[in-house]
Amino acid sequence: MFGYVEPDKPELKMREFEVFRGYYCSLCKTIGRNYGQLARLSLNYDLTFLYLLLDSLNSELVKGKSERCLVHPLKKRFVIFSNIITEYAAAMNIILTYYNLKDKWQDEKNIAGGTGYIALKLAYKKARKKYPEKCEAIEKYLAELNALEKSGCEIIDEAAEPFASIMRELFQFEHIEDDVQNKALGWMGYNLGRWIYILDAYDDIEKDVKEHNFNPILRQYQYNNDITAFKEKVKEPVNFSLTYSLSEVEKAYSLLNIEKNKGLLDNIIYSGLIVKTDKVLQGRGRENEEKSIQGPGH
Amino acid sequence: MKKNPYKVLGIKEGASYDEIKRAYRELVKKYHPDRYRDNPLSDLAEEKMREINEAYETLMKNAGGAYQYQESYDQSYENSGSYKSSYSQQSQNQNQYQYQYQDESDLEYRIRNYINMGNLNEAQKLLDKMRNKGASWYYLQGLVFLRRGWYDRGFTNIQKAVNMDPSNFEYRNTLNNLHQQSAGYRQNYYYRNTYYRDPDMCNLCINLWCADSLCECLGGDLIGCC
Repeated sequence: MFGYVEPDKPELKMREFEVFRGYYCSLCKTIGRNYGQLARLSLNYDLTFLYLLLDSLNSELVKGKSERCLVHPLKKRFVIFSNIITEYAAAMNIILTYYNLKDKWQDEKNIAGGTGYIALKLAYKKARKKYPEKCEAIEKYLAELNALEKSGCEIIDEAAEPFASIMRELFQFEHIEDDVQNKALGWMGYNLGRWIYILDAYDDIEKDVKEHNFNPILRQYQYNNDITAFKEKVKEPVNFSLTYSLSEVEKAYSLLNIEKNKGLLDNIIYSGLIVKTDKVLQGRGRENEEKSIQGPGH
Repeated sequence: MKKNPYKVLGIKEGASYDEIKRAYRELVKKYHPDRYRDNPLSDLAEEKMREINEAYETLMKNAGGAYQYQESYDQSYENSGSYKSSYSQQSQNQNQYQYQYQDESDLEYRIRNYINMGNLNEAQKLLDKMRNKGASWYYLQGLVFLRRGWYDRGFTNIQKAVNMDPSNFEYRNTLNNLHQQSAGYRQNYYYRNTYYRDPDMCNLCINLWCADSLCECLGGDLIGCC
C-alpha cells in the first residue's frame, strides 16, 4: 500500500476536511488500541479511504467527539466513533504493512523494513486471527506477485493483477451482504489497486533503475539507459492505462448506494485521484511523503 | 418494495418539473449503456437505468395536473420513449451482429457469446485455439483483455485490429469509446474544478506585468518600480 488515495485538498470544504480527518484519526486510534502505539506509524491514506467508503454505505449518522492524542497532545481533534469497519480497516492496514515490510527486508535487506517487520509481527498475528480467509487470499496473490517479479514479467497488466486482486479482496467486506454492492465494490477495488500499482511503478522508475529492482514498466518498454527519454516515451500509454482504470473506478462508484459523505467521496473520486495521477506523471509524486505518515493537517 | 422516486433521482420532494427533468437527463448520461459497454458491471447499470426510468415516469404521471404540466409531460414521455427505442435499437443491433456472425466461423460466434456472458476463461481458451489471427482475432482478444481489466493490452489489441481492418465500423467504434471514456473522466474533473478556469494569482502577476509593459511602450508607467 502506498498512500496515493487522498482528497484534493483545495477543493474540499472545511467540514468535509474535518470529517476526513475524523476518519483518519479514528482509524489511527483503533490501530493504537488494538495493536500497540508503534503500529500507528503504519497507517496510510488508502486504508482510510477504504474505511470511509465502506462506512458511507450505511445511513447511520457520523458521530464522534473531540479528543486529545499522543501525536497531537496540544489540540483536541474530532475523532469518529469506531465500529466493525474501523476494526476491519485497522487489521487490513496491519496485515498489508507487515507483508510490505517483510518483502522489503527479504528483497533489499532494508534495515528500516527489517526492524518494522519484527516490530509488527505480534500485531500481524493478532490481525490474522481475526480475518484468516482474507489473509490466505492476500498471501496467495503475494506469492503470485513474487513469482512474476522473479520471472521478470514483461506485461504491465499482468504484473498489476495480483495487487489489484488484493485490493478487490479488501473492498469486499464480509458484512456487506448486498451482492450487487459487493460486485461493484470488488470492481472498484480491482481498478483502484491497478491504478496504485502502476502509478507506483512509474513513480519508482529512477529508483528502480539505480537499484536494479524489478519494474514492469522498465521491462515492457525495454529500458535503454536514458531515463528522461524513457519516461517521455512511456508517459502516453501509462497515462491511458491509469486514466482508464480511474474511469472504471468511477463507474463502479456510481453504482454504490452512498448514504453519506458524498461530497468528500466525490472529491476523492473525481479530483483527488486524477490530481495525484498528474502529479506523479509530472514527477512530483513524492512531495507529500512525510505528510502521509503524520496524517492530514500538518 | 418500490423505492422512493425522488430518492432515485436524487432530488427533493416536490421538485419542479424542470428539476426532475434535469436530474433525469444527468442520470441517463451517467448510467447510459454506452458508458458501461465492455464492463463487467453493465447489468448493474442496466438495472439502475430501469429504476431511473420508472421513477421518472411515476413522477411525471403525478405531475400531470396543471395544463402546462400535462403538455410537457406528453413531450417528456415521448423523450423517455426515445431512450427506450434507442435501447431496443441497440438490442436489435446486437441481434444483427449475431446474425452476421453465423456467416463467420462458428468459433468467433461462440467467443462473443462467452464474452457477453462474462465467461472470460472459456473465451480465452477458444481464442488460443484459433490459428488464423486476423483483425477479428485481435479485436476479440482486445475485448477479453478489457473485460479482465487489462486495459493496456486491450487497447493495443484493438488498435491493431483497427490498423489491420480500418474500414470496420465496430472496431473503430470500440477504439473511440476507449479514448472517450478516459477523456470523459478527465473532463469531469476540469468541469468540477472551476479554479482552473478562473484567473489565479500567477495569472494576475503576469497580467499586471503585461499591462505595465504595454504602458511603458506607450510612454507611461503603471507600476513605478519596474
